[in-house]
Amino acid sequence: MLDIAFAKPALPESGALVLPLAEEDLGGGLVGEWDRLLGGSLARGLAAAEFKGRKGQVVTLFAPGGGLSRLVLVGLGKREALDAGGAEAAGGHAVAALGKEGIASIDARAIGGWAGAPADIALGAALRAWRFDRYRTKEKPEDKPRLTGVKVLCDDPPAAKGEWAARRAVADGVFLTRELVSEPANILNPPEFADRLRKLEKLGVEVEVFGQKDLEKLGFGAMLCVSQGSAQPPRMVVMRWNGTDQKKRDSKPIAFIGKGVTFDTGGISIKPAGGMEDMKWDMAGAGVVSGLMMALAGRRAKVDVVGLVGLVENMPSGTATRPGDVVTSYSGQTIEVINTDAEGRLVLADVLSYCKKRFDPAFMVNLATLTGAIIVALGNEHAGLFSNDDDLAKRIEEAGKSVGELAWRMPLGEAYDRQIRSDIADMKNVGGGRAGGSITAAQFLQRFVEGCPWAHLDIAGVAWGGKDQPTVPKGATAWGVRLLDRLVAEHHEGRQAQPAPAPAETEEAAVSGAGSASPAVLAEGTPGSEAPLPAPDLPARPAAEPAPAPRGTRRPATRRPRR
Amino acid sequence: MLTLRLTELPRPGLPLAYPAIPGEPLPPAYAAVAAAAGFEAGRGGALRLDGVVQGRPAWLVGVAPGPHGMEAAGALAAASLAGEGPDGPRHAVIDARGLAPAEVAALAMGAGMRSHRLPFLGAEPPPALRQLDLLVEDAAAAEPALARVRAVLRGTGLARDLAAEPGNRLSPRDFADRLGELEGHGIEVVVHGRHWLERHGYGGLLAVGRGSAHPPRLVVLRWPGHGPGGTPPVAFVGKGITFDTGGISIKPAAGMEAMKGDMAGAAACAGAMLALALRDSPAPALAVLAIAENATDGDSYRPGDVLRMGSGTTVEVVDTDAEGRLVLADALHHARRQEPRAIIDLATLTGSIVRALGHQRAGLFGNDAGLRDAAMAAGEAVGEPLWPMPIGEGHRRDLESDIADLRHCLPAGGGGGWAGKFLPDACHAAAFLREFACPEGAPHIPWAHLDIAGMDLREEGVESGPYPLPPGPSGFGVRLLDRLVADRFE
Repeated sequence: MLDIAFAKPALPESGALVLPLAEEDLGGGLVGEWDRLLGGSLARGLAAAEFKGRKGQVVTLFAPGGGLSRLVLVGLGKREALDAGGAEAAGGHAVAALGKEGIASIDARAIGGWAGAPADIALGAALRAWRFDRYRTKEKPEDKPRLTGVKVLCDDPPAAKGEWAARRAVADGVFLTRELVSEPANILNPPEFADRLRKLEKLGVEVEVFGQKDLEKLGFGAMLCVSQGSAQPPRMVVMRWNGTDQKKRDSKPIAFIGKGVTFDTGGISIKPAGGMEDMKWDMAGAGVVSGLMMALAGRRAKVDVVGLVGLVENMPSGTATRPGDVVTSYSGQTIEVINTDAEGRLVLADVLSYCKKRFDPAFMVNLATLTGAIIVALGNEHAGLFSNDDDLAKRIEEAGKSVGELAWRMPLGEAYDRQIRSDIADMKNVGGGRAGGSITAAQFLQRFVEGCPWAHLDIAGVAWGGKDQPTVPKGATAWGVRLLDRLVAEHHEGRQAQPAPAPAETEEAAVSGAGSASPAVLAEGTPGSEAPLPAPDLPARPAAEPAPAPRGTRRPATRRPRR
Repeated sequence: MLTLRLTELPRPGLPLAYPAIPGEPLPPAYAAVAAAAGFEAGRGGALRLDGVVQGRPAWLVGVAPGPHGMEAAGALAAASLAGEGPDGPRHAVIDARGLAPAEVAALAMGAGMRSHRLPFLGAEPPPALRQLDLLVEDAAAAEPALARVRAVLRGTGLARDLAAEPGNRLSPRDFADRLGELEGHGIEVVVHGRHWLERHGYGGLLAVGRGSAHPPRLVVLRWPGHGPGGTPPVAFVGKGITFDTGGISIKPAAGMEAMKGDMAGAAACAGAMLALALRDSPAPALAVLAIAENATDGDSYRPGDVLRMGSGTTVEVVDTDAEGRLVLADALHHARRQEPRAIIDLATLTGSIVRALGHQRAGLFGNDAGLRDAAMAAGEAVGEPLWPMPIGEGHRRDLESDIADLRHCLPAGGGGGWAGKFLPDACHAAAFLREFACPEGAPHIPWAHLDIAGMDLREEGVESGPYPLPPGPSGFGVRLLDRLVADRFE
C-alpha cells in the first residue's frame, strides 16, 4: 500500500504536485496562491492546456517551476455535485497521471464540505495504486511503477489522519480480496486459501477451518460432490469477528457467505476453452467475504459478524460428479445434478444452511460469481441483487450507491421456483432452459436459507474489470467489500443486530390493483334473506358462513347470498 | 371469437361450470361428490360431476387464491366445458350467481382468453366453444364490466391473430391493410409507404425493409378520444417485423419459423387501440407502427453500413439481426414529433431479456419513474407483469462508434475472456432507443420501453403467465396498455 501522510499545505521541495480543481476554482484563491509560488506558470499552463475542471479531465504540466518535476491538474466537475466518490476518483486519476514519480503531494483543499475529504482522496489514490506483480520476474525496474508515497495537503492534518485509519483498514481488506482473486489456481487452491485466512487471526478474527473429514461428518453432500473430482481437498472456513460486548452465545450475528471455487473447469459439463483462464476468479465471492472480515476487524467494527467461505475446485475426473447424480445436502434436501457447471449453488447451499443452523444470524448475505446470465441481463455495471427481504435489499442498494458499487434488484417468484423441480429429487440444480438462469439460481439458494432474511449478490459481471477505472485498476475489483463494509457501518454498528421483519415474497409485494379482501369485508353477507331466481334444475349455493378464508378478489359488502 | 352473454335464467341442458371458492360451502349436492373425490377448491383444479345436475354435464372449478384466481377459474371452466374431442359442445354456461360484477368479468376474461381460436388455414378448423353464458342474478349490474372485457378480448384477439399469421400471408402491405380495417371502429389509419419514408429520411426503417420484396410501412393509428379538447395523446410505438430472417446476419434455421411473430409489439399496440375504441375510452391515443420484413437479399443492408436515421443521427450497423431497434428508432422519432403525453414502445427485441427474466416478466426500461411505476402496477393488475431494468452509463458508452454517432449493438462474443461472451443486449438496445425517444437536450417526454421477447409467445411446456393457456401468440401488452391508459391517462 502507498504510504499516506497528511500535512499542512506547503510547496514540496521536489517531486510532483497534484492539484484537484472544481470548475468554479479556476481563477480562485487556490489557483492564485500556487500561481504565485510557481512564478506564474500555473495560470499559463491552465490556459495553454484549456483546463476547465471538467470531471475526470487530467492535465500534466512538466517542470512547472518551484523545483517540481510535474504538476497534475485533476478536474472535479461542478462543486455542488462533488461527493466522496468524486474525491476518490480524483485521487485515482492523480495516481494514474503520476507516471514514474516516486513521491507526490496532493493539495486537497479544493475538495471539501465534509470531514473526511482529504482521506477520501487518499483512499482513491491508494486503491488505484495497487498492483499485482508477484509473478513478473523479468520486469525492468524502470518499467515498474515507482510511486511509494502520497502526501495529502490539507488544513487539518491530524483530523484527516483520524479519518484515514478506518479507510485504510477497508483498503487493506480490498487488497486482500484483490490478491486472492488475482492468484492463479495452481497457487491458490482450497488449502492454501484457508491457510491465508488464518492470518486474519492476528487481527482478532477467530478462524475455524473444516477439512474433508469434517465436512463429510457434517454431511455436506452438495459441496463435497463439487470437490470430489479434484485432487485438491475442500475447505470451509468460518471467520468470526466479535466487535460488541455481547457474550458470544447471546449474540445474533450478521453473516456473509462466499462462493470459493478456486478453479472452475465446469467438471464433466466442461466449459469451452475460450476464456476459461478467467475461472481462477470463480472464488471472488469468498475473496470478498475474506476482505470484508479483514476490513471490519482492521477498523475494530463494533459488530458481531461471521464470514463463511466454501472452498472447492471443480475438476473433471474419474471421480467427478456426473450429470444425473443425486446428492443429499446438509439440509437434508436432495438435489439432482443436471449440469456440473452449476456448481456454485451446490457449495453455497450447504454453507448457507450450516450458517443458518449454527448461528441463526440476523441476516445472511451471500456473494457469488454465479451465472453468465446475470451479465446478459445487467452487464458489468450492476451486480444482480436477489432478496427475500425488501428492507435488506434497499439497504444494500443504497450502500452500493454511496460507494460506487451498484446492485440492481432482480425478481424472485414461485413460477421461477417451479422451474427447478426434479422428477427424482427435491430439486435440480438448473432450470429447464436458459431462460431466467440467474433467477432460477437464486431460487435454488433461497431453498436453503430457511426463512432467514437473505440477499444474494450475483457478482459474475462485476468481480473482474476489463479496463482501468478511476479507483479500480484492471483485473480483480473486490466489488462488494466496500459496499458491505458501508452496509455494516450504516446499519449495524454500535447497536444490537436487529432481526429484520419477516421476509415478504417479492412477487406479492409488488402486486397492486386487485387487492385481497379482508375477512371482515367478506363476512358481511346477510345470511337468511331470500335468493331471487332459483334455477329450476340447479342445486343452490348455500349461504356463506362467517369469516371464510381471505381470497384474491374483492366482493362488495352488500353481496346477496343464495340458497 | 367466443360470444359472452349474461343471462338471468339458465337454459336447460347446457353444460355447466360452477366456480368453487375455498372456504365457502358448496351446495349440498355438489359437496358430497366433491368430498368423496377429494376436491379442494383452493388448488384450482376442475372436477367433473356426472349425474349431479339433471340432464347436463357439470364441472366444479376451483378458484385458487391469488389475484388472478377467478380469471384462471374462468379459463379452466372454458377448457373443461369445451372438452377434448371433436364433439365438444358449442354453447355452455358458467354459474356466476352470487359473484360481484368484477368477479363475473374476471371469469369471462379467463374464459375468453382460453377460448380464442387462432387462425386455422386447413380445411376443417378444430371445434371450439362459440358461446358462453354467465348466469347471474342481475345482468344489468354486470353488463358494464363485461362490455369492457369484450373490448379487451377483441383487442387481445386481434393482436394474437396478427401474430399468428405466417410471413407469407402477412407482408408489410397485408399488415397495413389489416390495420386499415380499424377505421370501422373510429380509428384514423394513415399508412406511409416507401416514398414517404424516403422523403422524410427514415433511414432505419428503410434499411431494414430494403432486402425484402415487400417494402416497409409506417402506420399511424389515431383514436381521438373525447376528453377536453387539446389533450395530447398517449403514444404507443410497436415493432412490426412481419418476418425476421436476421438479414445478412442470418439466424440459425432451428426455430426460425417463430420469427413470423416478430411483429407482436406492433400487433399489441393495434390491439390496444382497438380495445380503447371499442370501450370508447375518453383518452386520445396514437400508435406508430414500424412495419417491415427483414429479408436476406442481394440488396439487403449489411453489417458495417452507416445509416442516417429520421432524427438525423447516424448509426453504424453491427448485426443486421438487431433490426428491431433500427425500425423502432425511426418510429419513436415520429411519435415524439406528435408531442404525446407519454410514449410506450413494445417490441420482441432481444434474446437477452429472455435470458434475464425468463418467460414470467417482460423487461421495462425508461426515463420516467412515474410512468415506470404506473406500467408496473398495470402489468401486475392484469397478469402481464414487468420488471424494471437499468440503462447504465456503461451501456450507453458501449454504443460509441468509430465511424458514426452510434453503433446499434455490440458484436456477439466480442468481449475478452469468459465474461466477454455475455452481452447485456437488452440494456444496450434500450440505451440505443433512448437516443431517439428522449434525445439529449430535447424536452422530456415520459417514455417506457417494454422488451416483450419471451412473453409474446406461449410455448409448449413452458410456464408463462398467471395461469395455463394453450400455446401460441399471447397478445401480451394489449391488456397492460389498456389498463395503463385507464389508470393514468383517462
